[in-house]
Amino acid sequence: MNQAEVSKLVSQLKTKVNPRLRKFRSPKGPEGRLDRLRKTVTALVKHERLELNYPRADEARMYAERLISDAIRYGDCHKTTMEMADYWLVEKQCVHKLFKVLVPRYQNSTSSYTRLLSAPKPYPGTGDLRAVLELKGNPYPSLLPDTHTNRNLIHNVLLDEAKKVYRSKKYAEIASKIDAAEGANGVKEQKPDEGVPEAVEKEVEASDKKDSVDEVK
Amino acid sequence: MLPVLTRNSITNVCKGLRRFSSALPKSDTEVSKLKTEKLKREILEFRHAYPEFLPDPKIEFRNKIREKLERNDMVARRTQVDIPEFYVGSILAVTSSDRHSGGKSNRFVGICIYRGGCGLRAEFILRNVIDHQGIEVLYQMYDPSLQKVEVLRLEKRLDDKLYYLRDALPEYSTFDPNMEAELMPEGAPVPVNPIKVKLKPRPWLERWERQNLQGVQDLELPEKFYIKAAQVATPWEKYDLMKEYMRTIPVEEQTEIFSEVQSKLQSLEIDRKKLKRKRVIVKPTKLA
Repeated sequence: MNQAEVSKLVSQLKTKVNPRLRKFRSPKGPEGRLDRLRKTVTALVKHERLELNYPRADEARMYAERLISDAIRYGDCHKTTMEMADYWLVEKQCVHKLFKVLVPRYQNSTSSYTRLLSAPKPYPGTGDLRAVLELKGNPYPSLLPDTHTNRNLIHNVLLDEAKKVYRSKKYAEIASKIDAAEGANGVKEQKPDEGVPEAVEKEVEASDKKDSVDEVK
Repeated sequence: MLPVLTRNSITNVCKGLRRFSSALPKSDTEVSKLKTEKLKREILEFRHAYPEFLPDPKIEFRNKIREKLERNDMVARRTQVDIPEFYVGSILAVTSSDRHSGGKSNRFVGICIYRGGCGLRAEFILRNVIDHQGIEVLYQMYDPSLQKVEVLRLEKRLDDKLYYLRDALPEYSTFDPNMEAELMPEGAPVPVNPIKVKLKPRPWLERWERQNLQGVQDLELPEKFYIKAAQVATPWEKYDLMKEYMRTIPVEEQTEIFSEVQSKLQSLEIDRKKLKRKRVIVKPTKLA
């Protein structure tokens, strides 16, 4: 039976929180565990993308999220938050980065501040799970495959079909126009104007271009 | 002559217009924003007076439906028995029915040395010295045998738990059972009693020198006790952000919980204030 502590207010984390913390056995005991984690958190703030073993990445992620959420909630004039930043960021230039770069970046964010992706295991290797931990909005190219231009996505398939239908409709319309023109000129037995189909072609192309702009990206 | 408009002056004029056009609706939204922020802060203030409405932060014990049902039951119980705001260090008088003698009740006056538990299992311990014998009674806050809870002196102490009163000189936990309730001005902040307690010499129930107590006078121990205390101290634990997170309930959840029970608790508080006003102030009598 515990009662919740009410002396300090904390924001809800937007990532999954593990039910219990990992021990990371170390000769220095629980202090050594925090030392390892703060090395990782400092590196994350400094480099914005890391590849490391999965358990450490998962654990360090929670601490990084907490640090950033506290920095957003309380700002740099709050003594306890500053002490925390001073402890967790071993390299002191990172403290400036936290309050001046990361806080404005994530101020209005509705999702988590970090991203954890599983990385391939090297072969032959120890078989440890690897992971990539990164801050969102980092300047590096994305690690996730670009699925936006995938033609097989259902909305792109549907758009393509719609385009086909539109085209066939337009062609039918043009054909009927030409027929009508021919019918009118049939008595005079004149050849149809060659300028009309060219203009029609252009029109169809233009409408195609419009569609491709609307295409889901 | 037409005034010459430079690019700067044009942009300034444009900016001015924009500012003017956006000033009216912005101020409105800002005012409403400030209002909601203030309301949120007020709602969050409930956490000090009603900590037992927050669920157990331990993730294994969480069950949202059960917590909600318990909160409903707690509010229902509070409409039957007036449980006023109190803190560790306040002096309380509790009247409860005695299950060993039907139809009779007991009244116990003492200082609250612990307040804990959450939901319907919330509890507190009262301590007093009666006939040179230290007495402690643990009361379940939502126990149906509880008939009346009075706060005789509303104050806080420097520590969250006052277990060290067990090893302190008896004068620090002796309170007159016929004590009158002290009236406080309305809306005043809860005073903190900065009293420093003198402990009896060892042996003690706990190793008080290792607990970083604020409300205790110098312990007068040999140096080796302090050396050992420094060895076993865990000063890094306060930096463990996740442990801290797992001991609390996040703000978003607290706001949700307290905005759910807020209106009922406030109406109960208003009823209590009305009763207080009705009560006739009795001239204080000299205590034994």
